[in-house]
This record gives sequence, structure tokens and C-alpha cells, in this order.
Amino acid sequence: MKGFTERRVNRALAWLWVTGFMLFLLAPLFVIVVAAFSEPILGRAVFPPRALTLRWFSAIQPEYLSSLGASVALASAAVVVCVLLGVPAALGIARSRWRGKAVFAALFRAPVQIPAVVTGVAFLQLYYLLGDAIGWTGAGTWTGLMIAHVFIGLPYVVGSVLAVVQRFNSSLEEAALILGAAPWSVLRRVTLPAIAPGIYSGATYAFLVSFSDLPVALFLSSSDVRTFPVLLFQAMDYEFDPALLAVATMIIVASFAGMLLFQKWVGINALLRSGK
Amino acid sequence: MNLPWHRFLLPPLVLSIALLGGSLYVFLAGSFHADLGVGRLGDALTFANYRKLFADSFYVDSLGLTIKLSAITTVVTLVVGMPVAYVLARMRSRWGPVLLAVIVAASFVTIVIKVLGLNIIFAANGGLNRFLLGTGLVTAPVSLIGKVEGVAVGLLYFTLAFVVVLLYSVVLTIPRSLEEAAQNLGASRWRTHWRVILPLALPGIIASGLIGFNLCMGAFTSAALIGAGRILTLPVLIQRTVIFDTKYGMGATLAVVLLVAGLVVNVLSIVLVSRLKAARGVTA
Repeated sequence: MKGFTERRVNRALAWLWVTGFMLFLLAPLFVIVVAAFSEPILGRAVFPPRALTLRWFSAIQPEYLSSLGASVALASAAVVVCVLLGVPAALGIARSRWRGKAVFAALFRAPVQIPAVVTGVAFLQLYYLLGDAIGWTGAGTWTGLMIAHVFIGLPYVVGSVLAVVQRFNSSLEEAALILGAAPWSVLRRVTLPAIAPGIYSGATYAFLVSFSDLPVALFLSSSDVRTFPVLLFQAMDYEFDPALLAVATMIIVASFAGMLLFQKWVGINALLRSGK
Repeated sequence: MNLPWHRFLLPPLVLSIALLGGSLYVFLAGSFHADLGVGRLGDALTFANYRKLFADSFYVDSLGLTIKLSAITTVVTLVVGMPVAYVLARMRSRWGPVLLAVIVAASFVTIVIKVLGLNIIFAANGGLNRFLLGTGLVTAPVSLIGKVEGVAVGLLYFTLAFVVVLLYSVVLTIPRSLEEAAQNLGASRWRTHWRVILPLALPGIIASGLIGFNLCMGAFTSAALIGAGRILTLPVLIQRTVIFDTKYGMGATLAVVLLVAGLVVNVLSIVLVSRLKAARGVTA
């Protein structure tokens, strides 16, 4: 009888803790979504709202949407480059007979250890130096920003793919080879599909690293080159336009919808494995 | 399978080394040149920036504040997050994966948006402050802006979801059968937690904690937006020194100090953990 009540108390405590945590975690996001549909009081978004409205969604400036679109395009471009570099790198690390492979793996992981602000400063100065040396401007251009985002996103692709490749049973490849398939077609038809979950999760991380980055973009942005986080950051200094809440709501909804799709197509476990 | 694997590795490796080496070299070198104003650097090599940094309590305090805030936030993150990760990992109902997916999705949303939400929650005429004032718990509206505690809350939102996901995978590596064995042998639930689960999870907890700590050390957004120029952590100071003061030499020096301080804390904790493990004779 005592064990029974103790278990019930433990269970209640566990639920209370998790519920409290979820409320704490989601509160800022929930408040933004509600505020995006609310009439402001004295020009400021307030929670809880007094009246509801849809007008902020029609008040979204074209400039906000173009900046959001540019952020998506930037992140997508960075992901493509990260995958093109990261998948061969992970396969190479796992399978080449070179010595010191552990060193290479650590080298690809190194950018994660560098604080984002430091990466921003470093790339800014690197681009100034390159500008003086070869006349190529990287600071304040989309290309320059994209290269910096590849730098911070690549470790995630290499890490995720490496985690899958190292556990991948090569007997499938051997079977295909014995049956007469050429190595390159085995790579395309057997190996790549088998490691696809690792590629998807690495690509997802790389996309999010780029899409949510503020510190690096802040150093490398210009008046023409502004990602959405930079725009939002600069807007928070001045008179705040509630239409930005509507854009933020779109991002929040897209994040949750994206997670749902990822869960359905690839499975959340692929993301967890590569987190390490 | 015989493919020229090293040729796969070569191009990404060369590019990574170029970017890593290039960027690290440029700002390391920059830290040894004096600022001449308007973004120009002196030609002579000098330790002047480092001497100035360690002689000026303004910079030393900023370093101390950054480490202290990161450490506190990391401890709170682990204490709050570990029970959540444990409950979710051991949950047998269908809610487990759903809650986990929600936490992962929340970690995807940029911190700029989360801070925006925090500002709305703590608005002076918002529901929370009206409630607190109404109950008489506080005499003035509670605000996060410009306060160390506020920045800590912002940092918490930066790390919490991510670290919980890491801890979740740590708990998954501990076989459930070990807990059941301990309880069959008469250990209480709490005793099982303290004597079985925590020791087994400790390396993973520390690894996750270090990742959280590193995130906090480099966290710019929370500190800049909530600190509002009054709480100057190193990342904020670096951005101001480079963008507002255009002192690239000093900015680079601060960046080197931030990078090295983070590495030192990481190495110290790893050494400490292996000492602990050796002392207790745990093999893991």
C-alpha cells in the first residue's frame, strides 16, 4: 500500500515537473503568436490581449518578406554546399586508410568550439585581408555570409553522417559487389540510401544553424545584405513594428510544421543520434 | 569496397583547413597589433592589447561575468533539464515522442524571437506584472532588461531545449534493467536515482553541460538584447568594440581571450572528471 501511494506521488511530481518545463519553454513562443493577432495597447504588444485582429498580417512590409526569403535562400545554399562537402568528408574519414583520421574528425568538429561572435570577427577580418590582397569583397555580400555559414554548419553534416557511416554494416555493399555491381553504382544505390537519415539530420541542423544565426550575420551584413534575425535584432532597438510579430509567428509555425514532417518522413531518432 | 576514399576527403579537408586556419590566423595576428583608430592597425607587433586587457578591471570584470553567468546558467539548465530528460526517456505512453518533438522544434526557433516573447511577457503593463502587482508580491513591475538575472533567463532559453535533447539521448544509453535490478534488491526510487542512474549518466551529463556552457560563453543575442548595454559580457563587448569603436585589434584580443577561456574551462572539467572517475574506480 505504501509503495502504491509513493509511486503515485512520484508520478504526479514527474508530470508536474515536465508540465512546468513545457510551459516555461513554450511561453515566449505562445505569447508571440497571440500578440500577432492582438490589438496593441499604447503601441506595445501586451499579453493577455484585449481584442483580436488580423491586421498585422496585412501590414507586413515587403522588406520583411524579402529578408525572410533571403534568409531561407541563404540557409538552403549553405546546406547544399555543406552536404556536397560533408558527405564525402565523412565517407573519407570513415573509410580511407590514412593515419590520423581522428585528427581530421576533430578538425571538422573544431568550428563548433569557436563562439559565434569570434567566428564573426574572424571572418570579417579575413575578408578585409582578402579584399586588400586579391580585391575580393566578402564582408557585406551574400557569398561571404554563405561561406561563413558553411563553416559553422559543416561540423553538423560531417558529425551526423559519420555517426551513421560508422555503424553501417558493409555486408550490404559486399553483397552488391559480389553480385557484379560496379563500386560507383554501389555507392549510389546502396551506400547513399543507407546513410540518408544521417544526411537529412545533418542538413536539418546546418539549415537551422544558418537560419537562426545572428552573431555571424551581424558582422558580415550590410544595408543590402540583411538576414531576418539581423532585421529583427535591429528593429528591436527602435519603435517596434507589430507586423514583425506576424512574421515571427510564421517562423514559429513553420518550425513546428517542419519538425512534424521530419518526424513523419525520417524519424526524430536520426536527429538525436547526431546530436552527440 | 574499394573506392579512392582519400580523394573524397581531400577537397573538403583542404577547404576546412583553409577557412579554419585563415580565420584563426587573421584574428590571432590582429590581436598583436595596436589600434590606430578608424579601423586601422599598427604595423609593429605588440602585446599592448593584452596588457591593457588584463590591467583594466573593465575587461577583467567582463570576463569574470561571462564565465560566472555561463556556469550558473549551465548548472540551472542541468538541474531543470535532467529530470525532464529522464521522465521523457522512460515514458511508456505515446506522449513521450510528441513532447520530445515539441522540445526539438522549440530549440529550432531563433533566440531573437524568444527574447522578443520574453519582452512581451515582462512588459510593464502586461498580464504577468499586473497579476504580481495585484497580489502585492512586488511593488514595482518586474523587468528583465538591464539585469544580470534577466540575461541569465535569456541564456537559459538559449540552451535549455538543446541540452534536454542531449540529456535525453544520455538517459537512453542507461539500460532500464539496471534500475529494475536495484529496486528488486530493495533500493528506493530516490536511492536508485542517486546511486545507479546519476553515476552512470555522469559522463554524459558533464559532456552535455560543457556543450551548454560553450553555448553560453559565446551567446551574444540574449546578452545584447536583455542586457541592453548595461550587462556587458565578452561577446557583447567584442561586437561593440569591433562594430561601434572599430577597434579591430582590441576586438580580436577579446575574441582570443573568450576562445581560450572557454577551452581552459573545457579542459579543466575533462581533467576533473577523469580524476573523479579514477578516484572512484569507475570504468566507463
